Amino acid sequence: MELVLSTAIGVMTGCGVWLILRPRTYQVIVGLSLLSYAVNLFIFGVGGVKTNVPPILVDGVPTSVLADPVPQALVLTAIVIGFATTALFLVVLLASRGLTGTDHVDGRNEPK
Amino acid sequence: MAGATALLSLLIVASFYPGVTNGGILRFEGTWLPQLGLNFTLRMDGFAWLFSMLIAGIGFLVVVYARYYMSEDDPVPRFFSFLLAFMGAMLGIVISGNVILLSVFWELTSIFSFLLISYWHNNAAARDGARMALTITGIGGFCLLIGLLLIGNIVGSYDLDKILAAGDVIRGHSLYVPALVFILLGALTKSAQFPFHFWLPNAMAAPTPVSAFLHSATMVKAGVFLLVRFWPALSGTYEWFYLVGLAGIVTLVLGAYFAMFQQDLKGLLAYSTISHLGLITTLLSLGSPLATVAAIFHMVNHATFKASLFMAAGIIDHETGTRDMRRLSGLFRYLPITGTLAMVASAAMAGVPLLNGFLSKEMFFAEAVETHADSILDRILPYVATLASAFSVAYSLRFIHTVFFGPPPVDLPKPKPHEPPRWMRFPIDLLVVACLIVGIIPAISIGPFLHTAVISVLGPDTPEYSLSIWHGVNLPLIMSAIALVGGALLYFALRKYLATCEDGPPILRNLKGQRIFERILVEVSWRWARTLERRFGTRNLQPQLRWVVATGFLAGLLPLYLSGFETRDIAFSGIDPAFAAIWLLGICLAFGTAYLAKYHRLAALVMLGGVGLIVCVTFVWLSAPDLAITQLLVEIVTTVLILLGLRWLPKRTEGLAESITLRARFRRFRDLALAVVCGIGMSFIAYAVMTMPVPDAIANYFLANAYSEGGGRNVVNVILVDFRGFDTLGEIAVLGVVALTVFALLRRFRPADDSMDLPEQQRIQNRFDEDRPERSAGDTVRDYLLVPSVIMTWLFPVIITFAVYIFMRGHDLPGGGFSAGLTLSIAFLLQYLAGGTRWAEDRIRILPLRWMGAGILTASATGIGAWFFGYPFLTSHFQYVELPLIGKMPAATALLFDLGVFSLVVGSTVLILVALAHQSIRINRLRAIDAARTEEG
Amino acid sequence: MIGWAHHLIIAPILVPLVVAALLLFFDERQRVAKAMISLASTLILVAVSLALLRVESGPNDFDGVYLLGNWAAPFGIVLVLDALSALMLLLTALLSVAALVFSLARWHAVGAHFHTMFQLLLVGLNGAFLTGDLFNLFVFFEVMLAASYGLLLHGSGPLRVKAGMHYIAVNLAAALLFLIGVSLIYGTAGTLNMADLAARIPDIEPDRRMLMEAGAGVLGIAFLIKAGMWPLCFWLPTAYSAASAPVAGIFAIMSKLGIYVILRLTMLLFGDGPSAGFGSDVLLYGGIATIIFGTIGVLASQALGRLAGFSVLVSSGTLLMVLGINDGAISSGALLYLVSSTLTISAFFMLIELVERGQDAGAIVLAVTMEAYGDADEDEPEEGDGVTMPGTMAILGICFAACGILLSGLPPLSGFIAKFAMLSAMMGTGAIGVPPTAAVWVLVSLVILSGIAALISMTRAGIRTFWSSLEGTVPRVLVIEIVPVMFLLFLTLALTVQAGPAMQYMDTTIRSLSNPRIYIDAVRNAAAVPDYDGVSSTEAGAK
Repeated sequence: MELVLSTAIGVMTGCGVWLILRPRTYQVIVGLSLLSYAVNLFIFGVGGVKTNVPPILVDGVPTSVLADPVPQALVLTAIVIGFATTALFLVVLLASRGLTGTDHVDGRNEPK
Repeated sequence: MAGATALLSLLIVASFYPGVTNGGILRFEGTWLPQLGLNFTLRMDGFAWLFSMLIAGIGFLVVVYARYYMSEDDPVPRFFSFLLAFMGAMLGIVISGNVILLSVFWELTSIFSFLLISYWHNNAAARDGARMALTITGIGGFCLLIGLLLIGNIVGSYDLDKILAAGDVIRGHSLYVPALVFILLGALTKSAQFPFHFWLPNAMAAPTPVSAFLHSATMVKAGVFLLVRFWPALSGTYEWFYLVGLAGIVTLVLGAYFAMFQQDLKGLLAYSTISHLGLITTLLSLGSPLATVAAIFHMVNHATFKASLFMAAGIIDHETGTRDMRRLSGLFRYLPITGTLAMVASAAMAGVPLLNGFLSKEMFFAEAVETHADSILDRILPYVATLASAFSVAYSLRFIHTVFFGPPPVDLPKPKPHEPPRWMRFPIDLLVVACLIVGIIPAISIGPFLHTAVISVLGPDTPEYSLSIWHGVNLPLIMSAIALVGGALLYFALRKYLATCEDGPPILRNLKGQRIFERILVEVSWRWARTLERRFGTRNLQPQLRWVVATGFLAGLLPLYLSGFETRDIAFSGIDPAFAAIWLLGICLAFGTAYLAKYHRLAALVMLGGVGLIVCVTFVWLSAPDLAITQLLVEIVTTVLILLGLRWLPKRTEGLAESITLRARFRRFRDLALAVVCGIGMSFIAYAVMTMPVPDAIANYFLANAYSEGGGRNVVNVILVDFRGFDTLGEIAVLGVVALTVFALLRRFRPADDSMDLPEQQRIQNRFDEDRPERSAGDTVRDYLLVPSVIMTWLFPVIITFAVYIFMRGHDLPGGGFSAGLTLSIAFLLQYLAGGTRWAEDRIRILPLRWMGAGILTASATGIGAWFFGYPFLTSHFQYVELPLIGKMPAATALLFDLGVFSLVVGSTVLILVALAHQSIRINRLRAIDAARTEEG
Repeated sequence: MIGWAHHLIIAPILVPLVVAALLLFFDERQRVAKAMISLASTLILVAVSLALLRVESGPNDFDGVYLLGNWAAPFGIVLVLDALSALMLLLTALLSVAALVFSLARWHAVGAHFHTMFQLLLVGLNGAFLTGDLFNLFVFFEVMLAASYGLLLHGSGPLRVKAGMHYIAVNLAAALLFLIGVSLIYGTAGTLNMADLAARIPDIEPDRRMLMEAGAGVLGIAFLIKAGMWPLCFWLPTAYSAASAPVAGIFAIMSKLGIYVILRLTMLLFGDGPSAGFGSDVLLYGGIATIIFGTIGVLASQALGRLAGFSVLVSSGTLLMVLGINDGAISSGALLYLVSSTLTISAFFMLIELVERGQDAGAIVLAVTMEAYGDADEDEPEEGDGVTMPGTMAILGICFAACGILLSGLPPLSGFIAKFAMLSAMMGTGAIGVPPTAAVWVLVSLVILSGIAALISMTRAGIRTFWSSLEGTVPRVLVIEIVPVMFLLFLTLALTVQAGPAMQYMDTTIRSLSNPRIYIDAVRNAAAVPDYDGVSSTEAGAK
């Protein structure tokens, strides 16, 4: 499992990095979303990978087997903040597109 | 007023005299920064006293003079305040007993002289002169500071007395040479010694009183003052002799030589000042007590006659309107008195007997003759000295002769020059009288004061010296005779040439230190800096992100590499094939997104959503239901947002004018490589950390106490609202502020012109409508959304109940305020989609801002509530209550907190969505505006 | 039970938060009310931070640990108040008052929700200064950043939007790095609490520690981006100079936040123990590079705004360099420098806007957007009201000169004192006869050279601005605009006169920092308030 997950994280990171280095705003925002997926999975994975032992207390189940709740809490916060910042960046790129008339990250017209 | 101040300070200084006679020292201690040995220590000894008398006295005279010199339309108060401030700083240099304090005042004089020189700042020469003066002396000041710090390092204290006492330690120390060099840099720049002399002539753009004060008596004297001050501590070594001596001698000759060929009166005086300072420096370099006596003596003399000469030049300028010696002549018949005074003063400058200049010059010759260290520099000194003084005779003669004798002047700017008002001339009278007195009866007049000063500097080894006019016929006398005659001859030889030639000495005319300086300054501080900034900096985004990624990668991987980390060997065991298959798909989708993002935005978006979904599945799979829910909801909302946004982005069709240059190729390749290595590195670290179990983490505590202490079974939720509730508080703040930003930004949003008109599909539909009379534009849009819109309308209450449900169960089962909030806002969103913005807002009025405010307030209030029970912020309390229908459910204060979260999330999300949705309404208005414009223009 | 005084620690976070929420209930048109409320909150903050500073440096050792939710460390989140954080809080509060008053002249009216964002920025800053928990630090960083995005874009216009987009993009990347770093640290050390982490480091087995250090490295990059270390600093001059004047004024503290965190963490985690001195070389050389780049930029920049931006870089570079050396005496000098330069730069940013009135880019942009929108009418910044400053040019000139003197470290203002403190420490004064090493010479010359560069370019700029134009149009400057600038400059003056006591405070601060045990024990031994019926709070609850 770890292998799959880490490969996935790696791939998403790679694609994300490639995209945020592109000159078009839309590519950058997509790249950032991909990266945040990768990072969320990464945080999550840090807590170790366990199947169907959600950190929800059920009488009779020893707490020791449950998945680590802390990374999950962190990821939740991270997701929210990521959502917020993505929305913001979207609007900013719209505004820049509106003001400069181009969707180039440096507001330049000719394709870089 | 200003005069009064100056006079007062003069009197005060004078009153200190008893304290400082025969080597006494007055001290005043005030603590400033004791930890670092920087204290506000004032220290007045004989030398300081003499110098302060000089400063205060001449200051007073200059103030009186300036009172008449300045014209009404100049802002006079500013002038006097600067002048007095400068005087204060200068006195500070002289009497400060802590070397750091000294450097403080030192820089202050630079700053104020800058302001004084640039007093007439409308004239470019004044500005440049001032700037150069500040730049050079300022830099010198920094050097001086370093030197003093070094001295402090050697001696272990910044106190002047300690330093002066520790002369041998300093001279013996390995840091002596650097310290000496830095201090000399400070001193030589200040008193305009070669090769830093060139700022002084340019500073002549200053008002004449300023020149008379700064450039004769005080500021330029600060440098030599410093040399005398540190003479006991630093002098007497080979380095001292060479560095100081070389500078001094070169300055002495060059200054005098340049002075002869000046056409501007003040220019002449400036260069002569330079050369006289050179003389003083040379004397100090010799390192013999007698030479020092001569140096101090000459400082005083020079101050007196040079100040008076400057003032005289000022009067001439004032009366005739020019300072150009080619135009001035025969002024004696207009200005007899001024003329006489000027003659006496310049005679003193030339070193004519019976005047003070003569005495110190004699001493100088005497010192020059007897050799000290046996070296070339020393051998040539007598000849050089004679030559220089011959020059000085020449320019003094020229000054007098051209200006006051010869035919009456023609075409003067001010035709009828006449004697200035009595009080304007008064300072000159005084100074010239001083010259005479000192010159004739030195032993009585200046003798005792000089003695006081000398003792305070030289202490025990004060030599025997006699201040008298006649020492019998000896070498010095012969030398000055030669100088006088030679100078006179030289002048009359050069006369014809001088009367016509332009400014500056024949050969060196074209090489102007100032020009070189300016050019270098511009070159270095402007062009180079520009290019360097462009080379090492950027204003584009991509390079920056590239740097960020690269450094992040290095920061992560380098430590591992350096410390030789290796991960566990990779285990292929226990891979669930289904899971692997899902992620295979996910990986393909990710690549697809990366590939399509440029030209096929929609497709890329869909694929991105796909990846998101797979992430959700992963969360479910790996026992994180909460994450799955949240991720799903966020996914939906984000997608909708981007969909709303896509409409405003420019069309982009494949293979457009996309000429891929070689550089572009290279850039892409580099980025690709970077992406690949980052991906690999990331997965490497991820694998490494995943395969190593978390050590006795705080997690166990949470798992153990979530129910007993936090009263919830869903540990994640308990952590969010209780254990780490503070994070959540911050998190909702982020959401809120982002929503506000979006709102504020979109109110100013103006779409680009090419996305102003309706999207294509809509146009088609409208055309379809317009073809049919019974339909009005836009019907179709409504029609083909009819069924879903009805459904969505019905869905509204359902979703709301669902949201409430999620919210309630949050504490024990997956769910919670955030997911509930998102759900509810999705409900609203659906209404917007279904009925269009207007329709939705007619039915449901939501005030997002209120929701947000209420949210934050509720959350904070919940936290503050704990205070009243003597607990810290956010301490939670809960108990189970029996509610009808729903049954036993927890009523924790955490729930209240969660309610706040819920409310804020709803508010913010709706605010963002609405703000985006409104664009399509506002655009109509914009179109209207544009239409109006086109009609007008 | 705990006394109310103890709650003072959290006030710097709660006050602005609540105020921000309250402000949401006001209509955009009730501008005066909003302004007053927001101003009140900043004033309260000043009072609070002064009180905190006093109790902190007071004789009786004040327990500066605040257990949020009454959960003992490392399980809950703790706020920690020590000399350093108290100092930063005070600095922030002072700047905020100045910037806010300045904004009341016109800027706060230019866009929506200025005051709310401003307050939330303060929440973020104060939270980041106070928190003792890594992830909580991330959250407050985000609060601060989100607010700063909003404020940077405040007033809109192409310049700001472009600068804002770069700023946001870079900082989003930084945030991701931050997350990676934190999670790595959690995964390897199993805790998020700084003190607990520091305590655990010694007994982390090697391979874990390597990963932990990797995490710390990634984390460090995130902070260095904020602090503006070359080559991660290119966004900074653009963003700061594009921001509206009061915003730039408050931004001056943000780059110092990065410095603060680095100082805190390096002292705490890598002060001693197995991974001591981790990354100090990076700081040293990075700092040197930053100073050089900043100096070049200062020389090269024609627009005053960029000049100021680059002088931010110079000061960050100097501080980073000093952190790299990590020598007690120098560091305390550097703290003084931090305070002084922050005040200076903040004042300078606001001053620039005043002297450049008339050809004010912001105003032009504003005008454009105005006529573009029929509906933007309620946003027109009303000039007119308020008293204009008499003798404007003279005062502006004096302030400008003061800024120049401060930036170039000329006497007599605090810029000089701070530089002197650092230099004399570098020169090793007192340690009699120890010749400074080559490295020291490099540092000294860099500090001096940056000063000279500032001198040259400030005189150039000043002459161009004030003297070159024969009939210069005297800008309309309101009293409430120039007073904040003078206020800040006056603070630097006070700092100069009171150099002795100030330096003493810095010394004690550094001493307490360089002995992390105090901090660690304080946090770990902070006990939760017991339930007073003694029963565990399962049933019947706590209160």
